[in-house]
Amino acid sequence: MKQLLQKKDSRWLGIWVVGMLAVSIWDILFLNKPALGQVTAGFLNTFCVALLVMVFTLVMAWGVTLALHFLDAGKNRTPYLLLTFALNLVRSIPQVVGILFGYVGVSALVEAGFIRSPVLIFSLLALSISLFVFIEFVDLLRERIAHFQKLDFYNAMRVCGISEGRVINFDILWKNSRIHILNKLISVFGAAIFLQCSVDFIISVGLSTDVNSVTLPATMGSLLAKIDSKQDILAIGYTLTHPAYAGNLFFEHLMGLTVAFLVVFTLMSVYHIANGYAERHRL
Amino acid sequence: MNAHRYSVCIRAGERTIVTTDNYDIVPNEITFLFGESGIGKSMISKAVYGLLDPDDLDVTVNGRPYAEYCALASTREIRDNSFFVFQEPSSHLNSLMKISDQLSEGSLGLCKDDSEILGRLWQNADRSALRRVLDVFPKPYRPSGGEKQRALLAMAFKKMDVLTSTKEAGADSFFVFDEPTGSLDNNYRNLFLELLFEKYARRPFTVMIITHDYSVISELYARYRGFLPRIHLKELRRADARAVEVIDFSAQEYLNWLGEKPPKASGADAGAPVLDFGARFSVFGRNLCLFKDAAHTQPANLIIRKGEIAYVKAPSGVGKTTLAKAIMGLYHAQDLSMNLCGMPITGRTEKKVWETRIWGRKATMVFQHADESLNLAATVRETFLGLPLARKLTPQTLVLALGELFEDSVTDAFLSKKVAMLSGGQKQRLNLLRSIVLGTDLLILDEPLNGLDFLSVKKVLTILDDRRRRGAALLMISHNEEIFDHFVDREHVYYLAECS
Repeated sequence: MKQLLQKKDSRWLGIWVVGMLAVSIWDILFLNKPALGQVTAGFLNTFCVALLVMVFTLVMAWGVTLALHFLDAGKNRTPYLLLTFALNLVRSIPQVVGILFGYVGVSALVEAGFIRSPVLIFSLLALSISLFVFIEFVDLLRERIAHFQKLDFYNAMRVCGISEGRVINFDILWKNSRIHILNKLISVFGAAIFLQCSVDFIISVGLSTDVNSVTLPATMGSLLAKIDSKQDILAIGYTLTHPAYAGNLFFEHLMGLTVAFLVVFTLMSVYHIANGYAERHRL
Repeated sequence: MNAHRYSVCIRAGERTIVTTDNYDIVPNEITFLFGESGIGKSMISKAVYGLLDPDDLDVTVNGRPYAEYCALASTREIRDNSFFVFQEPSSHLNSLMKISDQLSEGSLGLCKDDSEILGRLWQNADRSALRRVLDVFPKPYRPSGGEKQRALLAMAFKKMDVLTSTKEAGADSFFVFDEPTGSLDNNYRNLFLELLFEKYARRPFTVMIITHDYSVISELYARYRGFLPRIHLKELRRADARAVEVIDFSAQEYLNWLGEKPPKASGADAGAPVLDFGARFSVFGRNLCLFKDAAHTQPANLIIRKGEIAYVKAPSGVGKTTLAKAIMGLYHAQDLSMNLCGMPITGRTEKKVWETRIWGRKATMVFQHADESLNLAATVRETFLGLPLARKLTPQTLVLALGELFEDSVTDAFLSKKVAMLSGGQKQRLNLLRSIVLGTDLLILDEPLNGLDFLSVKKVLTILDDRRRRGAALLMISHNEEIFDHFVDREHVYYLAECS
C-alpha cells in the first residue's frame, strides 16, 4: 500500500476514488432524491461518453496511422495525399466548434426520430468528440513508428522476414509504445470530459429551443447549465462577501456545487494521474 | 603477488544487479579482464574506483556502505592518482568543451607537453591535422569514434606522465581502460599497447584493461613477453543468476585454439553462386570497391557459393556495414549489379521483391549491435514469433534452437524474460540465433562476435561452420581479423576500399 501511494498516479487515483466516495455519501445524506438522480445520471453519462471517446479515438487513430503508413509506402501517392488533406482539414477546425456541429447533428437526428436508443446517442456523441481529438493521437503513433524506423531494430526485423504489419502493430506500437498510448488515453479521457461539459453547457445555455439538448441524455455540462445549478454556483460568490453563509453551501446549494466539484476534481485528478504516469515511466 | 581483493554488491531497489566477492586488483601490475558484454565488468570496476552514484544504486564494497567506502583515504587516493577511460568515448567527453581544452583540464594541465603522446596516437600527424581533430567540440558524429577514443587514451597517458613526475613510485593508482580499443583497428590498438608498456616500463602503475578483444593476447605474447610475469589475464564469469566470479583466463587455451587446423572452406556441392556482387558500387555518393588483395590492385566481384564463407576486411568507417546493407537492399546502391540466389538485383528492384522473396527466405542479416537490433521490450520467446520459418517453431524446437548457444539456461522463466533484462552477451547470442534459425541460403553477419566471451565465440563459430557444412553461404564482416583469418580461407577474403 505504501509503495502504491508513493506513485503519483496511483496516489491521485486513490484521492479521486476517496473524493468521489465522500461526495456520494454526502449527497446521499443531504441532496434531495430527484436532484441526486440527475447528478448520478449526469455523471455516469459523462463518464460513459468519455470512456467511449477513448475507445473510438484509439481505434480510429490506430487505423488511420496504419492506413497512412502503408499508403505512404505505396507507389500511388494520391490516396495518401487525399487522406492527409482530409486529416489536415479536420485539424484546422477548432475542437469545440467541430464538436458543437456534431452535437447539432445528433440533436437533429434525435428530433427527427431517426435514433432513439441512448446507447446509439452516446456512441454518436462520443464519435463526434473523437473525430476532433484523434488526430493528435495519430501524430503520436506516427512519431513512434518514425522513431523506431530510424533504428536498426526495424531493419533487423524486416530482413529476418518479419512482416511490416507485425513489426508496426506488435513490436513498435504494442510492445514499445503502449505506455505512451495509455498516457495519451488518460489525457484524452480528461479532454473528453472537458469538451463534453463545455459543449453541453454551450448548447444548454446558448441554443434556441428549436435545436436543443432536452432530448439528449443529461450530462454534467447540461446539469451545470440548469438554472438551479447556476444559482448554486453564484452562491459561492455570495459567500465571499457574506462568509457566514458558507455553511449553507453544503446543504442548500448541493446540486450545482456537486456538479462543479465533480468536473473540476475529476479533471484535476486526471491531470495528476497522467503526469504521474508519465513521470513514472520517464516519458 | 599481493592482490587487493574486493567484494562488491550492486543492487537497484530489491533487484541485485551484480555481486562478486573476488575482484582482485594486483598493485602496480596489469590485469586484462575478459568476459561477455553486460556481465558487470565495467560496473564493478566503477564501483571500486568510486564512480557509481549512491543515490541511484545500493552499493556495498567489502561490506561497507558505498558512501563510507568512497570517503576512505585509500579510495580518495585511487581517484586522485588514476584515470578511468570510459567505454563509450562520446559519453566521457564534455560536449561543451573543446577536446584540446579537455586534454589539459584539471591535473592533466600539469603535463605541459603532450605532443609526444598525441603524435604517437595519431601516427605523427602534422599539427594542423591534429588541430582539426582536437580543436572541436565533441558531437555524436564528430570527430570519429576512433579519434575520440584516442583523445581519451591520451588523457590517461598524460595522467601517467603527471604521476611519474610528481608522485613517488608505489603510490596507489588504478588506471581503468574500459574497452580502450573498441573503436580502434589493430594498428591503433597496437599503438595503444606500445605506449602503455613504454609508460609502464618507466614507472609501474596498477592497470585494469577491460576488453572483449581476445586477439590482444597474441600481441602480448608476440611483442611483450618480457612483461608477461606482470600481466594477469582474468575472466569474469557467471557463477549463478546474479553472482559473478573472476577466474584465470588461459592464454594458452586461446593460442592453441587459434593454432588448430581451420575448418575446411568448401563442404557442400558449390554449384552456382548464392551471391555475386559487383566489385564496384556507389552508396550515398561514395564509390566503393571490393578487392582480392590488401594492396587494392585486383578488383573482384564478391562471390559466395554454397558452403563457403567470405570475409570482408576494411578499416573502421570505410563502409563494411554499408556494403552489407546494400546487399540486403536496405540501402539503395547505384551502379549495382548483383545476383542473389539466382535472382538478378539492381538498384531498381522493388521493395516488394525483397519483402516477399528475399528477406528471411533467401537471405538474412545479423546486425552489429544486438541492443539496437532486438526488441528489448519483447520476451525471448516473442523474439522468434513472426519469423517466416518453413516449419512452425514449437516450444520444444525453440528450446532446442536456443540450447545451441544457451545450454541449460533455457527454462520457461528464461523464455518469458524480457530481452532488456539479458546481458549484452546473451542479447548477442539471441540476435545471432534469430537469424540462424531461418536457415536462409545467404547469411550476412556484421560483427557476430561482438560482446561474446571466448566460450561463446567458439560455440558461435562451431554453429556457423555447421550451417556452412549444410550448404549455407556466409558473409562475415568483422574487425576481429585474427579470429576470422583463422576461420576463413584466404581465397575468400575480400578487401573493401573507397575508390575514385
